[in-house]
Amino acid sequence: MPHFPFDTVLVANRGEIAARILRTVKRLGLKGAVVYHVADKGAPAIALADIAIEITGKTPVAAFLDGEQIIAAALKAGAGAVHPGYGFLSENAGFARAVAAAGIRFVGPEPAAIELMGDKVRARKFVADRGFPVAPSAIEDDDPASFVERARLVGTPLLIKPSAGGGGKGMRIVRDLGVLEEEIIRARSEGQRYFGDGRLYVERFVENPRHIEVQVMGDAHGTVIHLHERECSVQRRFQKIVEETPSPALTAQQRKQICETAAGIARAANYRNAGTVEFIYGAGEFFFLEMNTRLQVEHPVTEMITGLDLVEVQLRVAAGEKLDLAQDAVPSAGHAIELRLYAESPARGFVPTTGKVLALRLPQGVRVDSGITQGQSITTAFDPMLAKVIVHGATRAEAIAKGRAALRDLVLLGCETNAAFLDRLLADDAFAKGEVHTGTLDARPDIAAEPALTDDLKARLIAAAALSLRPVKDSADRIQPVHAAIGGWRSA
Amino acid sequence: MRHLFLIDEQEVEAGLLPADTGYRLLLGDADIPVALADGRLTVAGRSEPVAVALEGDVAHVHLDGRAWRVEFVDAVERYAHTGHAGADDVIIAPMPGSVVAVNVAAGDSVAAGQVLLVIESMKLETAIKAPRAGTIDMVHVAAAATFNKGAPLVALAPATEG
Repeated sequence: MPHFPFDTVLVANRGEIAARILRTVKRLGLKGAVVYHVADKGAPAIALADIAIEITGKTPVAAFLDGEQIIAAALKAGAGAVHPGYGFLSENAGFARAVAAAGIRFVGPEPAAIELMGDKVRARKFVADRGFPVAPSAIEDDDPASFVERARLVGTPLLIKPSAGGGGKGMRIVRDLGVLEEEIIRARSEGQRYFGDGRLYVERFVENPRHIEVQVMGDAHGTVIHLHERECSVQRRFQKIVEETPSPALTAQQRKQICETAAGIARAANYRNAGTVEFIYGAGEFFFLEMNTRLQVEHPVTEMITGLDLVEVQLRVAAGEKLDLAQDAVPSAGHAIELRLYAESPARGFVPTTGKVLALRLPQGVRVDSGITQGQSITTAFDPMLAKVIVHGATRAEAIAKGRAALRDLVLLGCETNAAFLDRLLADDAFAKGEVHTGTLDARPDIAAEPALTDDLKARLIAAAALSLRPVKDSADRIQPVHAAIGGWRSA
Repeated sequence: MRHLFLIDEQEVEAGLLPADTGYRLLLGDADIPVALADGRLTVAGRSEPVAVALEGDVAHVHLDGRAWRVEFVDAVERYAHTGHAGADDVIIAPMPGSVVAVNVAAGDSVAAGQVLLVIESMKLETAIKAPRAGTIDMVHVAAAATFNKGAPLVALAPATEG
């Protein structure tokens, strides 16, 4: 066991991530503390922690965003380190500084690195200035007189965006430089109409782009290594659903190149602790998108192929230890896929769903990072992610097969989830061939659509429902098949 | 008796009958032997694992790798419940359907149990009877009209003291 200069770690998060971090904290012989909101009463993380401290706020989310309250809780728990998890305050430089000022170690990067990468424009300039690939672009503000000329240099296809834009409004794709000038004039007028601001921005448009990111890790002694890449192209509403490693899109040469680029960017930023450098990839080219200065939801796939516990590495680095792993010695064994289980209705546009978890059986024999428990109510107070199912196989096909088996083994009753949708996705030919991009789900609504209710399925569903409901109604004395139905596996 | 089941909001009419051994499911023209024991569902001789959790009249059923919501709508129970509610004299549609016959008009005096309307849902005819003696205040639907679940069908004038 390593020796840590702190004996208690406070986890400033909730759900599956809090539970996952606490498990490592306790495995390392440290005490785990967690803050919680009453909306999560009964959640697994609270039971796992040695110390649980209630936090309050106008909303449950507001409580987790109240840095002062969290630092007070850390002091109360006697915590020598605060792990922010992801989301909430994990990329808040002010919080990182306040934690340090309270004499507590922040398990994450230096505040300066958080600030640099948190400002997208600054980060992009920082990366481009050091010779790393960013999508060619031009900002009208820089010099309006030369804007059209500079836009020409971006090359085609290019995307014109209103500087003040958002939500895809007023964006135009140009594939022929002959029409560039007139498209710019139209876009300016659209920008004026939509946002009251006609200033523009152009960048190279990547067709059917794929999202590829690289896990990096740095220590306080100047070492930065990468832990290979992940592909996270399957998304809905810009939110990832399935992540895997290695990316099926890259050749060995491209993989090496993108990973070394990521490590180079992190090194240039004097990066410490866990981070992720995100790229957009298409037609053999990749461009820097942004860097996330935290551990990410999909870190388990990296853990599966490297055999590392990233939270342990984070805690060791935060304790001042040197990374003792040479870049060439970072394993990449087999293929891992993470499936995010969400409380949502894929057939109704992925809208969040609510309900009470009446029955829960998590798949056996695979890694499941779960933040839910039977009897818990799923509300709209937090993100709708319920759990992550992570599978590992010698090959991608084996991982897909294991993922499908795990999804079919998973039983969650009382709240609609995307489990069946994930199974349809894994079964889809395009996914099997690795031919997905960030727009795949928009282009393929058939994957989200529910299959038709056949007469055979109707008969089986009604039989199961009626046989469970009727004896309950008929007689309280009679043995109730529903109990047998649930008990058959609940006791397993 | 056949009941209405809403499977993910889709209506299916079916009945469950006790048989010599176990139960039979009546669905359309089919009469299918069914059984449920030890977490296994058997339908027409085919057996498979199933998980069910109940929430009032809703059965959450895990089958074919996904969870389904199956709501049981007992026409008689709903009707009786509405009639006995007392505080509310409006008879509410227990299920979506259409009106087969309207037997009363506003101002009519009716006896308890008198058939006021006949409605039909998925080939299932249900007589809507007066929950108590009284006077018809309003008939909200006409013959051949369609209505949604929960729609007001007939209103009785409030019962007077005495």
